[in-house]
Amino acid sequence: MGDTSEAPPAGRRPRRFSANALLDGFFFIYAGIAAVWLAWLILEQSFDWGWFGLVFFVAFWLVLAYLVLPRLHRILTTIYVPDYFIGRARTSDGLLGDPVNLAFDGDEVQLHAAMRAAGWTRADDVTVASSWRIVASTVTGRSYDEAPVSPLFLFGRQQDFAYQQEVEGNPAKRHHVRFWRTPDGWLLPGGRRVGWLAAGTFDRAVGFSLFTLQITHKIDADIDVERDHIVATVLGANPQATVDVLDDFSTGYHSRNGGGDSISTDGGLPVLDVSEVPLAAIDEARPGGAS
Amino acid sequence: MSGKRPAYESPGDLARPPDRPPASMRRPAATAFGAVLVVLRVVAGVVWLIALAVQWRQVLEGDFGVVLEGDVDAQTLSDTGLVVILAGGGVVLAVELVFAVLVYRGSNWARITVMLFATISITWSAVDYFGGDAEITLRTTLVTLALDILVLLALSSRNARAYARRGRG
Repeated sequence: MGDTSEAPPAGRRPRRFSANALLDGFFFIYAGIAAVWLAWLILEQSFDWGWFGLVFFVAFWLVLAYLVLPRLHRILTTIYVPDYFIGRARTSDGLLGDPVNLAFDGDEVQLHAAMRAAGWTRADDVTVASSWRIVASTVTGRSYDEAPVSPLFLFGRQQDFAYQQEVEGNPAKRHHVRFWRTPDGWLLPGGRRVGWLAAGTFDRAVGFSLFTLQITHKIDADIDVERDHIVATVLGANPQATVDVLDDFSTGYHSRNGGGDSISTDGGLPVLDVSEVPLAAIDEARPGGAS
Repeated sequence: MSGKRPAYESPGDLARPPDRPPASMRRPAATAFGAVLVVLRVVAGVVWLIALAVQWRQVLEGDFGVVLEGDVDAQTLSDTGLVVILAGGGVVLAVELVFAVLVYRGSNWARITVMLFATISITWSAVDYFGGDAEITLRTTLVTLALDILVLLALSSRNARAYARRGRG
């Protein structure tokens, strides 16, 4: 066994079968089962140490919420959640995430120009540095308006980028919208071609996720308010942008997001066309758009 | 495109190798964390060896019923035994440390080997715990078992797998 046997040179046809993938699958599931056992052993400890047991109880919750439940969800959702487009993004644990409620046409640079002109701030990627800044800004109370958003997946890919707007003086609340480029030639159900799909929701508070017990943002149930806010800001700041609403596109896609928050929508999918937005708007937006 | 799509997703999909991420992929936290955990496992091993050396006499008498009564030959023998155990343990730990580095640099075979040994160790503990009467508490083997399970969780995660299988060159 060596690196060379594992890694066929790029360009070779992908193999149908890989013992390595099966082995990985076994380890993936075995680790999940072992983690359940570990959580149980830690919980047992919390009974043995008196008041000090509280520490073990917190450790138990950490293991359960951040290791065990995500892994179990990952294993189970691989089996039961379809991997094709169903109008919903998925969380990194495979759970159904925010609903896709916006579509865009236009180049990436035009999209950036339009969003920036509309007073939106691009979110940083999740890195060690940005994570540290979140902690620091939470402790010191300073604002961090480029704070990263959690990864959500569509077409098996994390969002390409995300934009957000802070709510004055409240780190628990924010507007945010994630963007995914659609695969080449991909059509929406019903046959319409769009360049980008987006999911916009409003974080209203911080709370516990229903499914993983992790601390997370809770989103506002009426996702149409946020959708219309995004459309209104983009149209307001970009006279060249146009909108075309696909009525009742996702009437059936409601219920809950990945954190267990209920969501409801009238089902309209606005398709914003920003392909006529002049790129000069990027420079114009910088002084005025940084509100 | 030709032919109809099957109405169900084939279980064979589970055995299909995942897409190979580009060589430029950044090292995910899971890989770095997994390597750090292997290092912690080595540290736990060093502590265990030191404890064994310090309590060598009690261990011989208590666990094996060997009593050394001023017998010079027996004393030499027991010292040799200790040196052999320490040397053997040291070699094993050194190899483990090399594996930690390889895992950190994204070697797939090192990752799978480490997971294999973690799995064996976890299974061993589980058999002892569920089949025998071994107690697993903080005072006995909970720390090493927890490290093994965390190593397995970290290195079997999708990010760690993708990083170890990324394209090279």
